[in-house]
Amino acid sequence: MAERTPAKGSFLDQLALHLSWNRLLFALGFFIFIAMILFPFYWMVSSSFKSGAEIAGRAPVYFPSSLRLDAYRELFDTASPHFQNFTRNILNSILVSVPTAILAVILSTMGSYAIARLTFKGRGFMLNSILIVYLFPGILLIIPLFALLSQVGTTLGFQVQDNLNVLMLTYLAQTLPVALYMLTNYFHTIPVEIEEAALIDGCSRLQVIWRVTLPLAIPALVTVGIYTFMIAWNEFLYAFVFLNDRSMFTMPIKLNTIFNDPSPRPNVVMAASTIMTLPVIVLFLAFERFLTQGLTAGGVKG
Amino acid sequence: MATSNPSRRKLFNFKRSLAASEARLAWWLILPTVLIVFGLVLFPAFFSIWISFHDVGLKNLNDVFHAPWVGLENYRLVFNDFAFKFEGLLNWGAAVTTVVYSVLSTIFVLLLGLLAALLLNRKFTGRGIARGIFLFPYIAPVVSVAFVWRWLLDPRPSGVLNHILISLGLLENAKAFLATRGLAIWLVIIFQAWRYFPFAMLMLLARLQAIDEALYEAASVDGASIWQKFLFITLPELRYVMGAIFLLRLLWTFNKFDDIWLLTGGGYGTNVLPVLTYQFSFGSFDFGKGSATAMIQLVALILFLAIYASTIMRQSGE
Repeated sequence: MAERTPAKGSFLDQLALHLSWNRLLFALGFFIFIAMILFPFYWMVSSSFKSGAEIAGRAPVYFPSSLRLDAYRELFDTASPHFQNFTRNILNSILVSVPTAILAVILSTMGSYAIARLTFKGRGFMLNSILIVYLFPGILLIIPLFALLSQVGTTLGFQVQDNLNVLMLTYLAQTLPVALYMLTNYFHTIPVEIEEAALIDGCSRLQVIWRVTLPLAIPALVTVGIYTFMIAWNEFLYAFVFLNDRSMFTMPIKLNTIFNDPSPRPNVVMAASTIMTLPVIVLFLAFERFLTQGLTAGGVKG
Repeated sequence: MATSNPSRRKLFNFKRSLAASEARLAWWLILPTVLIVFGLVLFPAFFSIWISFHDVGLKNLNDVFHAPWVGLENYRLVFNDFAFKFEGLLNWGAAVTTVVYSVLSTIFVLLLGLLAALLLNRKFTGRGIARGIFLFPYIAPVVSVAFVWRWLLDPRPSGVLNHILISLGLLENAKAFLATRGLAIWLVIIFQAWRYFPFAMLMLLARLQAIDEALYEAASVDGASIWQKFLFITLPELRYVMGAIFLLRLLWTFNKFDDIWLLTGGGYGTNVLPVLTYQFSFGSFDFGKGSATAMIQLVALILFLAIYASTIMRQSGE
């Protein structure tokens, strides 16, 4: 014991050297933030593995006794009594958000290249009027779209409700302005001289765009793609109004339906939430460096 | 004319046709975007003005364009609706609630974002990961986080907040937090702060890292304390970014439907204009009244922006 005292003393000395009020306050603030942010996510994931009994108990269960798959079985296992056919909803979400992302990248690349590089009448007006989209509440645009449903259905001959392509178009309309803005900013950072050199060498405009500008813009294109994907993946209001048929529901709407079920099963809701949140978080972490830049540059609507 | 150099004129023509073809190319490139945005945003916006002056409901949805003109009747109905107008401190009405909700949420988002940005502006191991984690609430789907919160605030004694408060002896019986008038609006505001502070944090962090280190060194030489440095260097440097964040977030919160709809459905003193618009349009299927509500909201927003641009922005410009 006597021999350990000096060692302990030196440890405390070292500790005191590193500790100061400043550091302590910082660590405290940091951990409060981390706990505040992560607890709801921990609760979501851990609850998805709880059994019905753990959910219905008198006190909340902070640590599930074991990783039970009851909730996931209800979502995916056809043999489950409350089978939800969640695979269909995941597919619907993918069918809406992947094309939205791809089309948004292609269309906004074309549009923003025109705005950034080519001179034409009404360029400024175009950019400004497209940014006005920021001002309109989403709900304002839904009413007229909904009011025209049957008109469009009879005159143009396609169903508007329960049509994932129409939903995709509305998502494009919401995301294109932001995408256009972000990419225009990015194209401005690429020196014009590079393109001029290629033009002088005899490339056409389209060749310049394809061979010179686009390869340089890949980080921005990835950012736009992931953002539009996330917005379409997370979107609630338009899907809520335009989808009526259960087999057409995207994940957010399905989640809402399970949540409002007369017999509440929060573990199932949490399992579905986990499945919906996971891809977004993984995508985000994988491309974090690009995305944080994009967030500050474009001020992505959310 | 006869004396002019033909090759020169040719070059001029070539240049002009190049410019014309560039302009044509530009229009082709931007056309799809223009069609989608105009067709699905600007046209509906204008059509919405038209609807707000007509009686449009489920009955005449087959024949919208012949809906009867009702003048300002829809607006009169909205302004007199008990869900819209202010009726004392116990019943704010959606108009006042929207303003209180969006202003307070925005202020909290800014404060929390500033705090987080100051924390992450230090150098420490794992800062990159920490920044990623700090952004989780902002990128996660609103539906899932809103439902997690609803369940954490569950009215049964097994709800997490109820359980904690009861075990601490702060609460005797389980409380339905989100169904308590006066409390629900604060919880919704806190949810907003939790969900959107990362946006403010990110923008502030970018600005913080651009502040010239020499300013702080000079202040240290003059014997300034940490607090003084924050007050006289950091805050003034952040002023413009904070103004921009405030404006953007205020705009977006003002127009937001999902968060409140999912948390409270607009009940218990949390009804805001976008939710009210939804209720008029898709609850009672009175699209005229719904459009009128949305138009009132839009006009209020435009008025606010006009005043903001003419006073605050001019001041900061000088």
